[in-house]
Amino acid sequence: MQIKKQIIFKWLILVIALIGLFIADIILGSVNIPFKEVLKILFTGQSDHSEYFTIIYHFRIPKALTALFAGFALSVSGLQMQTIFKNPLAGPYVLGISSGASLGVAILVMGISSFTVVSQFGVLGNWTIVIAAWLGSGLILFLILAISTRVKDIMTILILGIMFGSATAAVVNILQYFSNESMLKAFIIWTMGSLGGVTLSQLKVLIPSVFVGLFITFLLIKILNAMLVGENYAKSMGLNVQLSRFLVFFSTSLLAGSITAFCGPIGFIGIAVPHVARILFKTANHKTLLPGTMIIGGIVLLFSDIVSQLPGQEKILPINSITALIGIPVIIWIIIKNKKLAAVS
Amino acid sequence: MEKPDKILKVENLKIGYSSKKNTDNILFENIRLSGCDGELIALVGKNGVGKSTLLRNITGLQNPLNGEIKYYNKSLKDYYRSDFAKMVSFVSTEIINVNNLKVIDLVSLGRFPHTNWFGKLKSEDILQSEKALQMVGMNGLREKNINEISDGERQRVMIARTLAQNTKFIVLDEPTAFLDLPNKYEIVHLLNRLSKEENKTILFSTHDLNIAIQEADKIWLMLDNEIFEGAPEDLILNDTFNKLFENSNLHFDKIKGDFRLKRKHKEKIGLFGEGARYNWTKKALERLNFTVEKGNEYITNIKIEADDNSCKWVLKSNNKIKYFESIYELSLFLKKQTKF
Repeated sequence: MQIKKQIIFKWLILVIALIGLFIADIILGSVNIPFKEVLKILFTGQSDHSEYFTIIYHFRIPKALTALFAGFALSVSGLQMQTIFKNPLAGPYVLGISSGASLGVAILVMGISSFTVVSQFGVLGNWTIVIAAWLGSGLILFLILAISTRVKDIMTILILGIMFGSATAAVVNILQYFSNESMLKAFIIWTMGSLGGVTLSQLKVLIPSVFVGLFITFLLIKILNAMLVGENYAKSMGLNVQLSRFLVFFSTSLLAGSITAFCGPIGFIGIAVPHVARILFKTANHKTLLPGTMIIGGIVLLFSDIVSQLPGQEKILPINSITALIGIPVIIWIIIKNKKLAAVS
Repeated sequence: MEKPDKILKVENLKIGYSSKKNTDNILFENIRLSGCDGELIALVGKNGVGKSTLLRNITGLQNPLNGEIKYYNKSLKDYYRSDFAKMVSFVSTEIINVNNLKVIDLVSLGRFPHTNWFGKLKSEDILQSEKALQMVGMNGLREKNINEISDGERQRVMIARTLAQNTKFIVLDEPTAFLDLPNKYEIVHLLNRLSKEENKTILFSTHDLNIAIQEADKIWLMLDNEIFEGAPEDLILNDTFNKLFENSNLHFDKIKGDFRLKRKHKEKIGLFGEGARYNWTKKALERLNFTVEKGNEYITNIKIEADDNSCKWVLKSNNKIKYFESIYELSLFLKKQTKF
């Protein structure tokens, strides 16, 4: 029972940390808003200072929600990829899934943008952007899957992921070269997208997409557990491997693609967070790992967001740098600990 | 006499890999085999002859190029995926290496075809998993991580997973590879016990012929172009085993039930003695390419003189006599002699 109490305690700490950081992310920012005012706006939806209300309601809450859902989505998609590739270093960023999403958006904005509504960034434009990102990330996922059935070596697949990333970057460069000034501007603005750049209307697309992706993933818990022991065993236990793989990829593309579509590529969360969850709960069972990964992902991204805006300062650091600085040490630690990496497959 | 029901039948099977070009890559054709209730079957054959492919076909992981595999007279391809998983379970040569995967969690994965879509383990499922661990004698390891236990223990846990899957048939691809000698014997003995006590039909491939001969009820012997089945004793008596290594220096010793290297015996040597000492001295002499003749004192000969405390080997050659304290000394001397 001692162990059970410990586990409940861990969950409690995580949930409290998540809620605390979410509120902290709303309170802290370049403009100092008194704590009382923040609470008043949050709970009553009114304020005597209209500028405070605007800041909280139109900037800080969307940003905190974006950080929360980006943390959920990226870490969960990383967990799924690590399980399905049986590869501790898999994640949406290293395998080129995020680059695939960029490619999708680049083709949309610069390739077919002459008759587009994208530049207006209405809800319809948001949907087209996100669908382009899904298609791009899905394409790269299926390419990697096709190769990984032939090549079993982890390192080879990772190198291929990097190659795909570079190739998509090259295609994006070529597209930029041939596109006119206004298209280029639209695309550059998109690439600079950060957590703070997501508007309320974009959130109306982002949150449902992530929600659906997470929902599918929760339905896949049993399948993910079976995939842990490899496809042959999963198949011998009666799993429809093709269908399962498709569902996992579908939800992964949905999760990683949606976030990349609106926030740009955010690295290293997808690889690092599932490992933190494994260390914390000492299990491989997705019934625990999936919600654990999700919450820790939210915590890490909210924390990164708070750090990136340097409370009280006007300057904002790029979120990608913060997540890299947090994630890379975890990844180095995994590599050192897992010396028999090539044997993991 | 009533014939036992053949609940597993392989008919005219052609296995291999289909290729995009016109010609298929055929590994083996015309396979006809069978298995009965409660039988332990050992699949034996040279490396690369297609044992693993045959097992993958039998477990439905790969489709045959032609022919049929029937369980209870119903073709494998007519079974639903989930029904088949409740009937046949599989242990491959892959080593499961997942961090933080507990033994009990791995075993209860075997309940996969029996649980609902969420994989919720009911008390029945937990009971079955615990019982499976107990049957292989590994219940002490239930909370250990799968990559913290030894190879022999892991193999038992993998077998427990198939027991939790609760299938009539268990198929194992080289379960004794990578194991040390005691573990090899124990694993195969465990399979034998399970086939009898739980009335399961268990099929495994192996290179350890001695063990297979001792424990299996039936052997499927895969030669280059032919496949034979029968009790190990039948295959010994009708010289079928000798075909396995026809082109090598090995031959099967019918009396001892073991493979030996064919030796070119040069010289004859007489040997006197009895019991274990006689047998092992004979073996040593044979290794040195002598043909041993029991009790022949007219040629170079060795007498084993033993009492309760000591033992001597007396070599008599051309009226010269030499004494040796051990077989090793004797063999060193004989080697020197034969050189000149």
